[in-house]
Amino acid sequence: MQALLNTGSTINEGKLAKGGNKYSEEYTKECAVCWMCAEDYAILGCPEKVAVISRDGKHMVAVYPKVTEAMMSGHVFIPRSIWANVVVEPDTFSTGSPRYKGSPVTVEPTNEEVLSAEEIVLKLYMGGE
Amino acid sequence: MVYKNIICPVCGGSCDDIQVELKEGSIDVQNACKMGNAKFQEIVSHHRILKPTIRENGKVKDVSWEESLDRAAEILVNAKRPLFFLGSETSCEAQEVGMHIAEYLGGVADSNATICHGPTVMGIQESGMVGATAGQAKNRADMIVYWGVNALESMPRHMSKYGVFPRGYWTKRGRFDRKLVTVDPRVTPTATASDLHMQLNPNTDYELLSALFTILNGKEPHPSVEDITGIPLSVMKQTVEMMKESNFVAIYVGLGVSSSYGKHRNIEIALNFVKEMNNYTKCNIGALRGHCNVAGFNQLASYLYGYPFGVDFMKGYPRYNPGETTTVDLLREKDVDAAFVMSADLVNHIPADCAKYLAEIPMVCVDIAPCPTTTASDVVLPGVIDAMECDGTFYRLDNVPIHFEPFTDSPFSETKSNEETLKMLFEKIKAKKEA
Amino acid sequence: MAEVILKPTGNFNLTVEGEVITPDNFAGKNAQEIGQLLVWQGPQEYPLSNYFEVKGDGAASAEKTSIIIDGDVTRVKRIGEGMTAGRILVKGSTGMHVGADMKGGEIIVEGDTDSWPGMEMKGGLLHIKGNTKDHVGSAYRGSWNGMTGGRIVIDGDAINQVGGGISGGEIIIGGNVKHFCGIRINGGLIVVKGNATRAVGAEMTGGTIVVGGTIERFTPGFELAEVESDLKFNDIECFGEYKKFTGDYAIPQKGKGTLYVSCTNNECL
Repeated sequence: MQALLNTGSTINEGKLAKGGNKYSEEYTKECAVCWMCAEDYAILGCPEKVAVISRDGKHMVAVYPKVTEAMMSGHVFIPRSIWANVVVEPDTFSTGSPRYKGSPVTVEPTNEEVLSAEEIVLKLYMGGE
Repeated sequence: MVYKNIICPVCGGSCDDIQVELKEGSIDVQNACKMGNAKFQEIVSHHRILKPTIRENGKVKDVSWEESLDRAAEILVNAKRPLFFLGSETSCEAQEVGMHIAEYLGGVADSNATICHGPTVMGIQESGMVGATAGQAKNRADMIVYWGVNALESMPRHMSKYGVFPRGYWTKRGRFDRKLVTVDPRVTPTATASDLHMQLNPNTDYELLSALFTILNGKEPHPSVEDITGIPLSVMKQTVEMMKESNFVAIYVGLGVSSSYGKHRNIEIALNFVKEMNNYTKCNIGALRGHCNVAGFNQLASYLYGYPFGVDFMKGYPRYNPGETTTVDLLREKDVDAAFVMSADLVNHIPADCAKYLAEIPMVCVDIAPCPTTTASDVVLPGVIDAMECDGTFYRLDNVPIHFEPFTDSPFSETKSNEETLKMLFEKIKAKKEA
Repeated sequence: MAEVILKPTGNFNLTVEGEVITPDNFAGKNAQEIGQLLVWQGPQEYPLSNYFEVKGDGAASAEKTSIIIDGDVTRVKRIGEGMTAGRILVKGSTGMHVGADMKGGEIIVEGDTDSWPGMEMKGGLLHIKGNTKDHVGSAYRGSWNGMTGGRIVIDGDAINQVGGGISGGEIIIGGNVKHFCGIRINGGLIVVKGNATRAVGAEMTGGTIVVGGTIERFTPGFELAEVESDLKFNDIECFGEYKKFTGDYAIPQKGKGTLYVSCTNNECL
């Protein structure tokens, strides 16, 4: 499913980040989550986990889906965090600020493991290709 | 002992009414929000970084302050073009030292604004801004617009302290004297609490603002704008009328405006709209700035070097061109070869390509708790918590400087504050460079 | 014409600022002297010969000097900045700011360029045969005037803010553009033969924009005036029928800008 990815803060994301708990399980549960509407979730076949893939196909992140009325169909939301930023586009419109709002992504069901913030740094960023 | 009127070092709200009581191994906090309380708990947390570390041959080990500062200075002096990311969760005083180091080494100095309200600052540069202090808006505003910002979750006390609920001099009945409009593609808690929620399609802020502006100028917007934004023309007209009929309109913009497609152009037209609205009623605009001292870096860099962020000292004098001299672009284009990150979790907040490169190049960071940036760093210097363990200056969201006083001391005998840590680092850098 | 050939050989791990690469600077110098001109890489200056093998001497004047860059120089910025005469041919792609503040002469880039080509250009010709990125011919940050004269031709696509704030000159885009093409222009001409995504002519207060393809999201502050066919601006011709709009009425008391939009590709407007 093609979707536009929105990212932003949630109060618990803020609480955990400011409290220095980015490596806690709670933080993963709060942030490694892709919000979507029920209709889109049904289209995906109600999976337990979804993979969010960047437009160029270079980056993928596995997260848990969350069904909510806050979203319109075709739009997904991931709380501002390392999971969201794996698939946020680095292009900045010549402004310095990447596409935190409205990066085009593909969402599909997956069996990949949902990594913790620390695992993302170690495996995706420091482990090389 | 109970300490009163402590400044909260978390978001741009810089709440100045926090009350804390430090007990044996615990801290009791009054008046702070969920985020603020979490940060105050850092004072007694078990995960606080208390020892400097360096990474050698892939292994992280504890070292003395002396050794870690030596190693940090070595990395920065050996780099051809170091990036200084001077984060916002520390004082202007520390940021100033960081900027001087960047200038000395011919590097680039940047801060959180670059991945936050940078486009807002660029928009202000293009258009100028009709602003007001938070207190003005609190006492006068009878119409509040949260545009692209979920205030309830990103600056939890904004609505109760300045925006919507407080009883002001001319808004004595608080919430009942104010109309609240939210513009957001998502049904956020802020949107739910509003009188009117304009649920526009993502990335159409410019078109909506442009249409409102056209209506304000007495012209009919092109009808295609209804499909583009998903907002009926009648609602747009009603909104403009509501604004004109109000006594004082306060518009707060968030990353929804400055970070969606259009970026600084969205802000620019919003600022122009506000200017024009002042022909009818009092209207002002301000950004809800996420991090506590993110405004401070912009102020400081502007008065010291003439530009608000992304200041490149490569040629010995400051230059500025967002998209060229800004963190995300420099990392994406691999145009820096070492990094110094202070009081910001940069690795967490930048796109994968940039984070990967940042993890590849030598990096020094100053932080208080383990996070992706400390994991990817080669040298980690423990941070001192501003407003709790040392004094200094923050700039609030409305660019008002706030001096803060600590209620306890730095846990380190080696340093009193991040400012002092950076000064020690600067001395080492100078000694190595001149040797 | 005397030809100076620069063949990239050096280490471009950090970008190089090559504003010395202009016929004006090369004129009256032999190959060795040209090799000793300094360029910035990081906070240091190094001789040009660290990065390029230099062959051929410059002519006595800039007019008679032709520079050929034989290869890709994507990590070299500011090639041809401020040049007044002569010619530069890049047989590859370049970095940012190619031909910025150019006053005369000609630059031809056979490949692509990064952002800011022809920034605040005043005269001459900048021809990019491939694609480019943002801010073609634009005003610098905070400045009100972009390009004031000369011509920029892009055979491929450009991305955002084409011609931001221009008050003169011509920009011709053979391919497509994305956001904010012709933002804030107050004069000059922009012709886009392909499609545009959105905000074409936003905040324009003068000048002319022609879009031959489809505009995905039309700028709200424009008003239909009439339909014209076969437009002609000196030697630039746009055949077919065009809807003529005036605007941008989002900007107070103005609306002196003209936006032509192809009738066949924009039936719903």
